[in-house]
Amino acid sequence: MSVDSAHHEQALAAAFVGLADTLVDDYDVIDMLHRLATECVHLLPVDAAGLLLSDQRGNLRVVSSSSEQARLVDLFQVEANEGPCLESFRTSRPVAVADLRTEIERWPRFAAQAEQEGFRGLHALPLRLRSDTIGALNLFRVEPGLLSPANGEIAQALADVATISILQERAVRKHEIVVEQLQAALNSRVVIEQAKGVLAERGRLDMGESFSALRRYARNHNQRLSDVARNVVDGHLDTAEMLGRSAGDGSASGVPRPGAGPTR
Amino acid sequence: MVDLDRFADQLAEIVAHGGAQAPRSICDACVVALPVSGASITIMASADRQEPLYATDAVAARLDDLQFGLGEGPCVDAFVDQRPVLVPDLAGTSDNRWPMFLHGARETSASAVFVFPLHVGTIAVGVLDLYHVHPGLLDADALAGALLCADALLWTLLGLRSGDEPDGNGWAKETDPHGWLRGAPLARTEVYQAIGMIIAQLDVDAETALARLRARAFATGRPIDQVARDVVERRLRFNEENK
Repeated sequence: MSVDSAHHEQALAAAFVGLADTLVDDYDVIDMLHRLATECVHLLPVDAAGLLLSDQRGNLRVVSSSSEQARLVDLFQVEANEGPCLESFRTSRPVAVADLRTEIERWPRFAAQAEQEGFRGLHALPLRLRSDTIGALNLFRVEPGLLSPANGEIAQALADVATISILQERAVRKHEIVVEQLQAALNSRVVIEQAKGVLAERGRLDMGESFSALRRYARNHNQRLSDVARNVVDGHLDTAEMLGRSAGDGSASGVPRPGAGPTR
Repeated sequence: MVDLDRFADQLAEIVAHGGAQAPRSICDACVVALPVSGASITIMASADRQEPLYATDAVAARLDDLQFGLGEGPCVDAFVDQRPVLVPDLAGTSDNRWPMFLHGARETSASAVFVFPLHVGTIAVGVLDLYHVHPGLLDADALAGALLCADALLWTLLGLRSGDEPDGNGWAKETDPHGWLRGAPLARTEVYQAIGMIIAQLDVDAETALARLRARAFATGRPIDQVARDVVERRLRFNEENK
């Protein structure tokens, strides 16, 4: 193996490890995607790279670019709604062009814009996992020419790592939200029971009556039950009003106890 | 010997099937497949806000109650630190992390305790408690099995099934998909109500009220649930003299 190719292999391995690290650690997706774009330029015979991701409605957005020229070309693609990247994203297949000058009819506006920025060769890959295509990777060459099959495979592998990372991070975020909701549900239940206790003690009520008092107050003040409960427990709410209403049965214990002021 | 592959398949099936009974099934399967005597799951929003979900036997339930009642123990640490806490020998340990818990735990038939946090990213939702009547560490396969178990529990608690992909929005829509916390009263309802009453009786905050309740339970050697019931049923009051 020549020194050059050994060096290249090392660089390749390091790049993959660097990207794969993002699958394990807490990381920033955008940071990873920026790194990916610049890695493409180091590892492949290309001069620029760009990454686009789709939003919920299937519209592509430019997320990272290795150079300003690449960024302009990608922005233009999205705006003009034409180009190899869009095609790759929509068909979920790679789109390779040796010389954009031959594709004037295919993408008239895009081809002209790209050449203006100095690019002739182009290779677009979908960011895809099974049936999910979430964006595309664009590789630009100043000189016309196609990527070799070997380089094409490397490019696809880089795209795959990016795709898995993004989907993984989305899944974790979704799950985190569900967990937070579960925690919030438990917190709510707990604080409501605590508030019932506070009212029961202050108003000499049973737990059922306390709960009714809380609910009534929340309804009348258009607040969430758990918020009212939290304020009662934290001492931010004068419970006299709540307890005054519960004294409707005229019992002697209906008088609220003092000392429940918000200054506590 | 743990047949990890078979256990993994079994867990996958339970998760795929889903449903409200899934966490119980996982705990039961755990006790059969792994070298442990019992298991329990507790949902937690914080160290002091716990809701026991299921225990395979009275010892597991007791260990859980002890930790909540005392406010210390491997459960609490595992939840707060989000790391498994393994205590292979309750009697022999010179651990002084949880003196009161160890004291109480040694009075049960448990000799070893292993606690695994249930968490996603940086957010913990509860713990899986395993115990064994004989002392000793879990071997590598048993440990792997316990971690699989914790994973499976997490999926069922979140109401997710294997193969779930993020939906169009990427966000889950349902809170508490199996109603763990809706409907039926919380297992520790009276403790929380008692805390509220003590807040009013002593004019202190919730944390202090819980500390006082725990102190009373410890001093009288009674489970915290019982002391709480006394408070709620007005047989016991906290005031400046007796706090």
